[in-house]
Amino acid sequence: MNATACYFVSAMADENTDIARGLRRRDPELLDRLIEQYQHRLLRYLVYLSGRRDLAEDFFQETWVHVLERGGQYDGRHEFSTWLFTIARHLVIDHLRSKRPTSLDSLADQDDLAPFDIPAAGQPSAFDATVQREQNEQISAGMQHIAAEYRETLLLRFQEGMSLEEIASVIGAPLGTVKSRIYRGLSALEPWVKGARL
Amino acid sequence: MNPDLMNADPHERARLMIALSGTEGLSSAKPWHAEESWLAAHLESCASCRAFAENSRETIRALRGIPITASGRLVFTTQMRVRQRAAELRRQQERFWVICVCCAAVTLSTAVSTALLWRGFAWLGHQARLSTPVWESGFVVFYLTPAVLVGILLLARGTFLADHNGSFQD
Repeated sequence: MNATACYFVSAMADENTDIARGLRRRDPELLDRLIEQYQHRLLRYLVYLSGRRDLAEDFFQETWVHVLERGGQYDGRHEFSTWLFTIARHLVIDHLRSKRPTSLDSLADQDDLAPFDIPAAGQPSAFDATVQREQNEQISAGMQHIAAEYRETLLLRFQEGMSLEEIASVIGAPLGTVKSRIYRGLSALEPWVKGARL
Repeated sequence: MNPDLMNADPHERARLMIALSGTEGLSSAKPWHAEESWLAAHLESCASCRAFAENSRETIRALRGIPITASGRLVFTTQMRVRQRAAELRRQQERFWVICVCCAAVTLSTAVSTALLWRGFAWLGHQARLSTPVWESGFVVFYLTPAVLVGILLLARGTFLADHNGSFQD
């Protein structure tokens, strides 16, 4: 490992240790900073996982309350984001279980749900932006229809940029399962990508 | 060669490689170059895998381009809620410490007062010319009566003094 890589790895480990220490103290300043830092990533994950923005916002708040209450359990040896997403995931699964005896897969069966909200593109007059927006809408709709386990894995991999090991840690599945879900998820999205091109 | 891809049929193997390309899921360095060459050759000859590669690229690009952002209101509400909960937890912890201190004080005072009471009863028994088992029995009755009375009261409040909802009558 070269010196720059060593420096970054060491800096990240220090940051995680600081976070772990702050969470044990229930430091409100640290929590405020973490909420701001992870706001978009966590919400995006929850929106994709739950399929509903309003539900995702409730989970968002609950997740941070859990982080506060169980902060002492974070040891700082792993990435904070991995721990955060694991908490969020368990919350969603617990919610689904409390509603009915089901699994994460059942989220994919909600045919009546509208695709995720896609805000208007930055430059509405630009043709490319419109095409891009339409493609995003198609793929977003496709994401709503594929199995939740595939959706989750694709999101963690391609939106959050997590490593396969980190994803395996968040979803509590073997590495082979993660690889398979990425492959199957992309395959399941194919019809919507083709539809977006038409 | 990556063990995941060893036994797959060529199309499945190619598609899995496409899905994982750019990730550390495939073996690093030399073996990956060999796989990459194989994949390039396969894509040259297989239109459906080529289409899959193109679709995957578009999907990944689209996934990265879908903007879902948290509103300032949500962040603010969450921060307020977390601070409120933190204050509650702090208060609970303070109460817990008060209870701990009280328990320690009660234990200490019980140890001291028991020894003193024992001596007191022994002296009274001696003065009244009572036999040892008598004043010892008196000590036990005196010592246990308050606890027994409180226990009976609590049990009574939990049964016949309680109304149907389980709450206590005024």
